[in-house]
Amino acid sequence: MADKEATVYIVDVGSSMGERHQGRSVTDLEWGMQYVWDRITATVATGRKTANLGVLGLRTDDTSNELSDDVHFSHISVLSNIKQFLMSDLRKLGDDIKPSTTDKGDAISAIILAIQMIITHCKKLKYKRKIVLITNGRGRMNSENLEDITKKIKEDNIELVILGTDFDDSEYGVKEEDKDPRKAENESMLRSLAEDCDGVCGTLDQAVSELEIPRVKSVRVMANFKGFLQLGDSEEYDSAVRIPVERYYRTYAAKPPSASSFVLRSGLGSQQDQPESHTTAAASSDTLGVDESSLTSVRPLRTYHVADEDAPGKKVDIERENLAKGYEYGRTAVHISETDENITILETFAGMDLLGFIQSDQYERYMHMSTSNIIIAQRANDKADLALSSFIHSLFELECYAVARLVLKENKPPILVLLAPSIEPDFECLLEVQLPFAEDYRAYRFPPLDKVVTVSGKVVTQHRNLPNDDLLDAMDKYVDSMELVDVDEDGEPVETFPIDDSYSPVIHRIDAAIRSRAIKPHEPIPAPSKQLLKFSEPPENLVEKSQNHLNKLVEIADVKKVPPKIKGRKRTRETEKPLSGLDVDALLHQEKRTKITPNNAIPEFKQILAQAEDLDTIREAAKQLTTIIESQIRHSLGDANYDRVNEGLGMMRDELISYEEPTLYNEFIQQLKEKLLKEELGGDRRELWWLLRKNKLGLIDQRESDQSKVTSAEAKDFLSAN
Amino acid sequence: MADEYRDDDQLEDEEEIDETGYKTVKDAILFAIEINESMLTPSPSADSKTKGEESPASAALKCAYHLMQQRIISNPHDMMGVLLYGTQASKFYDEEETSRGDLSYPHCYLFTDLDVPSAHEVKELRGLADDEGEARNVLVPSKEPVSMANVLFCANQIFTSKAPNFLSRRLFIVTDNDNPHGENKALRSAAAVRARDLYDLGVSIELFPISHPDHEFDHARFYDDIIYRASPTDPDAPSYQLADSKASTATGDGIALLKTLLSSIHSRSVARRAYFSNMPLELGPDFRISVSGYHLFRRQQPARSGYVWLEGEHPQMAQGETTAIADDTARTVEKWEIKKAYKFGGDQVIFTPEELKSLRDFGDPVIRIIGFKPLSALPFWANVKHPFFIYPSEADYVGSTRVFAALHRKLLRDRKAALVWFIPRKASGPVLGALMAGPEKVDEYGVQKLPPGMWIIPLPFADDVRQNPETRLTVAPEPLIDKMRYVVQQLQLPKAIYDPSRYPNPSLQWHYRILQALALDEDLPEKPEDKTIPKYRQIDKRAGFYVLSWAEELEKQYAAAGGTAAQTTLVKRSAKDRDAETGDSASQPAKKPKVEDGSSGVEADIRSHYEKNTLSKLTVPILKDFLHSHGRSTAGKKADLVERVEEYYERK
Repeated sequence: MADKEATVYIVDVGSSMGERHQGRSVTDLEWGMQYVWDRITATVATGRKTANLGVLGLRTDDTSNELSDDVHFSHISVLSNIKQFLMSDLRKLGDDIKPSTTDKGDAISAIILAIQMIITHCKKLKYKRKIVLITNGRGRMNSENLEDITKKIKEDNIELVILGTDFDDSEYGVKEEDKDPRKAENESMLRSLAEDCDGVCGTLDQAVSELEIPRVKSVRVMANFKGFLQLGDSEEYDSAVRIPVERYYRTYAAKPPSASSFVLRSGLGSQQDQPESHTTAAASSDTLGVDESSLTSVRPLRTYHVADEDAPGKKVDIERENLAKGYEYGRTAVHISETDENITILETFAGMDLLGFIQSDQYERYMHMSTSNIIIAQRANDKADLALSSFIHSLFELECYAVARLVLKENKPPILVLLAPSIEPDFECLLEVQLPFAEDYRAYRFPPLDKVVTVSGKVVTQHRNLPNDDLLDAMDKYVDSMELVDVDEDGEPVETFPIDDSYSPVIHRIDAAIRSRAIKPHEPIPAPSKQLLKFSEPPENLVEKSQNHLNKLVEIADVKKVPPKIKGRKRTRETEKPLSGLDVDALLHQEKRTKITPNNAIPEFKQILAQAEDLDTIREAAKQLTTIIESQIRHSLGDANYDRVNEGLGMMRDELISYEEPTLYNEFIQQLKEKLLKEELGGDRRELWWLLRKNKLGLIDQRESDQSKVTSAEAKDFLSAN
Repeated sequence: MADEYRDDDQLEDEEEIDETGYKTVKDAILFAIEINESMLTPSPSADSKTKGEESPASAALKCAYHLMQQRIISNPHDMMGVLLYGTQASKFYDEEETSRGDLSYPHCYLFTDLDVPSAHEVKELRGLADDEGEARNVLVPSKEPVSMANVLFCANQIFTSKAPNFLSRRLFIVTDNDNPHGENKALRSAAAVRARDLYDLGVSIELFPISHPDHEFDHARFYDDIIYRASPTDPDAPSYQLADSKASTATGDGIALLKTLLSSIHSRSVARRAYFSNMPLELGPDFRISVSGYHLFRRQQPARSGYVWLEGEHPQMAQGETTAIADDTARTVEKWEIKKAYKFGGDQVIFTPEELKSLRDFGDPVIRIIGFKPLSALPFWANVKHPFFIYPSEADYVGSTRVFAALHRKLLRDRKAALVWFIPRKASGPVLGALMAGPEKVDEYGVQKLPPGMWIIPLPFADDVRQNPETRLTVAPEPLIDKMRYVVQQLQLPKAIYDPSRYPNPSLQWHYRILQALALDEDLPEKPEDKTIPKYRQIDKRAGFYVLSWAEELEKQYAAAGGTAAQTTLVKRSAKDRDAETGDSASQPAKKPKVEDGSSGVEADIRSHYEKNTLSKLTVPILKDFLHSHGRSTAGKKADLVERVEEYYERK
């Protein structure tokens, strides 16, 4: 469990905080609040009851604190006591924070109050205590009793953070010219206060700019397996070895928070007003026109049915209780009774068994199938340390990887893993990834990239699909000129892929959007921060440097974009010949296929179109095909012929687009829709119409074919209307 | 933990999609196996050690049987059928040979109809492959020749009626007859026309030719008129690959024939399905080519259990349907009504579906090269999931292939990789990846094992990297490392490589093996075939000596360094730690490195309790330690633990 936290934010809202400085578009207060909101919402987002915070307003118009009788503590208001912050608190704070009309109020007194709040809240319990002060340092500050404050802060182990607008910071490179003398004095006093109690005093500029860098959630390190790395069978052979080891995640895909589904409550006429989210309601109504209290959650309901030829609609609903558990073997349903539930589970025992070793340079890196883990020796076991270390070093020296069979728990499926040695100056371990099984590889085949094999079996090395020497040379130079050389903070070149400063764009964008919407429900979602897009484009300097090589490459490569309209079109009939080059078209011509046979409709329709010399032939073929399709619908028992109809229509649509006769199709599909909906083709065919809609077999519009007179809107309308 | 493997699946809403829009993303394979005298003549194995003979026909049927079993696991929704042609008997749907003389497809015997196979069909096909019972009556060649035109049209009709609108339909012809119609022009033309019909229907023909020692199969004589250069549905697919003709070894060795045929069929068993098509690969600003992407490596999972309805004639799978209902009134909710909200500060933060979608939208799908790095800059651990394979396509940019090939060659030669910004699908969120080149690899039969192309390895983000646990570093001294080196050297896998095809997934295979037995009402198999279990005997034989000598050294080094170190950690040590320690020493006469003083004592103690039936007298921690050190679960109450210890001894 993470430690309990108590943080007090002291926000200076003096009237001078409402001014803009140094050419910034936001007031000092708005600027400071960027930091405060970010910190507070980050705490709220954790949803932890033990992460508590309070807020003090400094230089407020009113005074509201427990020492309000003392004039030293005037113009300081407790905006929120220390507690778990919820959405309503955020909204309230948003309303409360605005520049006051006064510049009275002492920051040092506010710190004293904050200490008091923490003491009251935390008592002597274990807490991470923290005070954050945001100020422009322009108010009057009383420097008496600073030693007592320092002592108290150190005693109670409170972390003090002071952030000032335009405070000088030579390290960060900020210096305010013509600084107000009082501010200069305050600055140096606050700085020495912070230093004295081991806190931080910095310039706000730096703090706000660092907000850009997404924060990575740290996860507690926990072993996901404790067992033995085994060589040989210790139950059978005396020569077997068992090294006790522990396994930890090295990578684990972090996931964005998941959203839940809601709908409007039924019968919303009578608003049920729930007091606690009242402010929310007012706030969000602009963006969405609803508030949470009018919403109800959505849950999934699962129903089951089986096919039944005799039932209306060809299926009957079955209650869950009347169903047994089972699996599919092909199209055979295999029932497994509850007592046999584990019958298909392979019996295994936990352990990591070595199969053997492979040469690391013979391994294809792309065979990694999973996230990675590390394996270390059982902790506080020196013998295991020694044993594993000798294993790691021998793999390293021999340039080998180990292959092992890993079972994480009794009766869990075995996986094969690859173990690689990792030796760093202060850390040694085995790195582990999962390997593919035979079933995990799909043998799709692809032609070679360095030669072309012709139909007759001749190997050709000069071909339009093969790069010539000029292209190879241009590519060589371009790739070399685009070499990424990253440097770390100290300017040293980094020799690995940039993993440490690449942040998941989706996670952090969603995170930012939630927090932004929580405090500013009226505003649109902010754009992704620059940091998230850091690797979305090649670095500018690299692009510049390699420009000449790229130009050369583009010129030699001579790549031509295919205009979108031609894409679907038949480009040549050349590919449509068999390997021998036999002129099948001529043979077809001899056969004189003019009447399309229903059971060979698709090939024959295509062949007639291919040979057609006039429009009438195409029109006639289309007419024949439509008759066949309608007859298939009419005689379809239930949905028996629907797939065939789909295929016929899809093919007809594609062909008529390529032969530039979209109107023939459009006329037909319009009539067909009418007939379907009027139940003229063998009864209720709405399901078929739904299928055709899903497969987008509606009107051919102008985007798809120049010859079409149908606009995209009309086509869309045609499909959406019932 | 083991669930991490399931999680992977949820991460990706990644099924292959149909780019053409209206087709069903399914594959149908129809085997057409010619039955004639030479196909039925067994040829003995040349290798005297493997006994048995194999005729080409039975080899083909065995391949079909293997493929059917395999596809039930890997493609549970895809169809398969087996058509025999040239048989004396004929069978086509409701037509039987006994009916009138005018059969539509004489000498075509549809043995297994094109469909998702049922358990019954698997069994029938196995019977035929093993030449049992009724099979003898089917595998009788016809006295008159069969018309190829008729065979092809028969296949056409099967595809048209059984697999309409499938994205992929393939006819696998297995034959040794390279010239069925001789010089008969009419028959040849008719066959060519029917082949063209299949092509226009979108069916591709793949030929598995069989040569005999005295006759090399010659495609040019007939089949080049039947087979087309490009696949009708996947223009980028390599058509008919001549490299395969090597597979039809003319050695006359039956078993070798079966193996080569299996390898060849296996390599084409899965229809090529793209994960994305014609994706722009951006080499530099405004310089793009197009590529298609595939999942060549992906974890194959057993299908989840479902619900079976038992009251019908046969057990039947119930189809589930999920509808969303409102919690307050239980009314059905339409998709457009749903709003999305995140929990935040005890309240809900609401977004419209469009807004939510826009949060994941980082632009159109693209693979954009950001720059290059040496391949060695890619750490071994920098991995989160399986890779994507990409291959050029000419569909959007003419010239893509040559540019891709040039980049491929450069990256391969200089061992470089590109850093890429990769958006696989609109709204799937960007990924940073390492793009590396892979060379083509072929097996001993000349069949492609790994294709040439490039691989995108998705990299972890900083968010995905976990910290190392804190440890104290102990480095083994040289002599100990030296001894371990001998062990490692003794136990190299064949060719010192990892070859996935040698290791079927044991739990997946067992799952379906049991289902098959249940479905066919056969006896359950007793022992699973598990190729992932190490070869213990070999390990002992080859490395045993070296292991013992390493263990001795370990003991020595431990004693040398040990004393003080051990004391510092002594506090935290339980009995377990001591038991579990590795190595043992020569101090024990039996030279047993697996156990040592403490542990052999504990083991013996537990054993004696077992024998005396007094295990329940032992404490829970001792029982748990014992079970844990034998890879057994330590969950449950004491009685469960005792039971599990008993089970352990009973098995021995």
